[in-house]
Amino acid sequence: MRQFFDSAIIALGALWANKLRSILTLIGMIIGVSTIIAIVSLINGMNQYVAAEIQTLGATTFTVDREGIITSEEEWWESRKRKKLTVEDYQAIDEVCVGCERVAARSITRRSAKYGNKYIDDVYIMGSTPEFPLIVDFEIENGHYPTAADYQHRRRVAFVGYDVIDNLFPGILHIGKEIRIAGQKYTVIGNGVRRGSTLGQSKDNYIIIPLSTFEKQFGDRRSVDLFVKAHTYETMDETQDEVRMVMRARHKLKYDDEDDFSITTAADIQNLWDNFSSGAFLVMIGISSISLIVGGIVIMNIMLVSVTERTREVGIRKAIGARRMNIMWQFLAESLTLSIVGGAIGIITGFLIGMALSHMSGIPLGVEVWSIIAGILVAGGVGTVFGVYPAMKAARLDPIEALRYE
Amino acid sequence: MLIQTRELWKTYTMGTEKVHALRGVTIDITKGEYVAIMGPSGSGKSTLMNMIGCLDTPSSGSYTLNDRSVANMNDDELAMIRNREIGFVFQTFNLLPRATALHNVELPLIYNGTPSETRLDMAKRALEMVDLGDRMGHRPNQLSGGQRQRVAVARALVNNPSLILADEPTGNLDSKTGVEIMGLFDRLHKAGNTIILVTHEHDVAKYADRILHIHDGQVSRDEDVRNAA
Repeated sequence: MRQFFDSAIIALGALWANKLRSILTLIGMIIGVSTIIAIVSLINGMNQYVAAEIQTLGATTFTVDREGIITSEEEWWESRKRKKLTVEDYQAIDEVCVGCERVAARSITRRSAKYGNKYIDDVYIMGSTPEFPLIVDFEIENGHYPTAADYQHRRRVAFVGYDVIDNLFPGILHIGKEIRIAGQKYTVIGNGVRRGSTLGQSKDNYIIIPLSTFEKQFGDRRSVDLFVKAHTYETMDETQDEVRMVMRARHKLKYDDEDDFSITTAADIQNLWDNFSSGAFLVMIGISSISLIVGGIVIMNIMLVSVTERTREVGIRKAIGARRMNIMWQFLAESLTLSIVGGAIGIITGFLIGMALSHMSGIPLGVEVWSIIAGILVAGGVGTVFGVYPAMKAARLDPIEALRYE
Repeated sequence: MLIQTRELWKTYTMGTEKVHALRGVTIDITKGEYVAIMGPSGSGKSTLMNMIGCLDTPSSGSYTLNDRSVANMNDDELAMIRNREIGFVFQTFNLLPRATALHNVELPLIYNGTPSETRLDMAKRALEMVDLGDRMGHRPNQLSGGQRQRVAVARALVNNPSLILADEPTGNLDSKTGVEIMGLFDRLHKAGNTIILVTHEHDVAKYADRILHIHDGQVSRDEDVRNAA
């Protein structure tokens, strides 16, 4: 054991003495381990994000829209040919759907908003029916949402997110103030709590106005998105079928036509993400195993050089009584130390990469203890496997030949 | 009897030809003797030294060291015998370049599992015995040739071996330092150590009490020189 530590210390000393060579030697190992750490942390962070997103949508809520989840260009072009969803669709579902607890419609655009000489560009302007903020949770901090009366009378009232407050009303009370959205005057009637940002996008960058007002100002050519909340999780499927029947009837689809609209549940989003993340895991395993194999071969090469350089040393050690196992351990300890140092640097680099990516993309970083342990174990395993052959070669040297080596 | 060889043969196969490095060497050496093995290069003295030093095994014949037959031992058993019974001193010193004098001397003790405090004590005592008590932390490249060889002698001594086997110990030293080292061997002999010296120089061999002359793989003369010096 002591010999093992002695060898490890010698190996560390040699590593420190040849810093550039060490980095080059260990680069494969570092890439391999840092890939594991970075991707595991990001996927894990993304998992937390998706879980949180799904929770805000809720397990009993689903959306009906024209496009659905688009994963290819063809799907996008296909979706462009579909019929738009309209306020009438919303009204029809709201009237007949038994399984629906709440139904809402929302239309969306990005415009600028102004107050005095202050302005904010590219705010999401959501024209919505009164139930919308109750389905998709926009928790109220001050004031209230646009009401049914506001909707009926097409009043120009706005419920704003914190980005709007920060930009237009720094340090000023905002309730009751008049802002201009794309030139039209609106009265601020309330604001939501601060929701922060995910994936680098602010979740406070919104203004909710009545859908009727929205269509009056921006026209009714946009397809609206419908939000439906079922009474219970158990009746989700039935409720979806109900909504599907209404929509198919309204679009006059024959029994063998496909739906020309799309119903998306939280579970669908989860499935999509699961597929993506398992793909990312495969890519990670691919990249890291290739780099680890390359890293292992480089370590083996360095160890073979080290054995050759130190043939005489092996001869001396054997002459004064080192057994094969002693020599074997000495060189194994060295390759193990090399690889574990590589693994440790890889873990640190992995975190730095993960942090940088997380900073750029807004994906939260979810550090996993098991990925650190796995990184160290994998590195140590590679060092051992690729260290065995050079170590055996050293252990089997003939002491007489080795002593004669110049 | 410390060393007893009977009809030692060592044969190497070079291509199709068989080369006999040793052709039936029979010698007896008792405890406390100071013996020089002399012979020109190619005489087989190095092979004989490797055999006596348990670095190699004979093709045929028997070798008993301290009542133990070593002719048929495997690698690891030989390593243990070398560790306990033999202290080597080489022409080129053969110290570990990156290790301090103390660590070099300590090394044989590491391989027989001596606990570390005892080990340090023993190594320090061995270095003091060769008058290097003040150079323990120095690395070989910080020491002179004579000092290096004295570190090597300390390493050979540290384990209290039955036998000190020195292969041309003065070959890489100037004559003055060589005389010093030979004086050190004299001291060790007087203290009761058994010493075998392998050399081709008569001036060095004459320090011993007995000279075994090797020619063509055989002992050609067994000379008692106790009173010659």
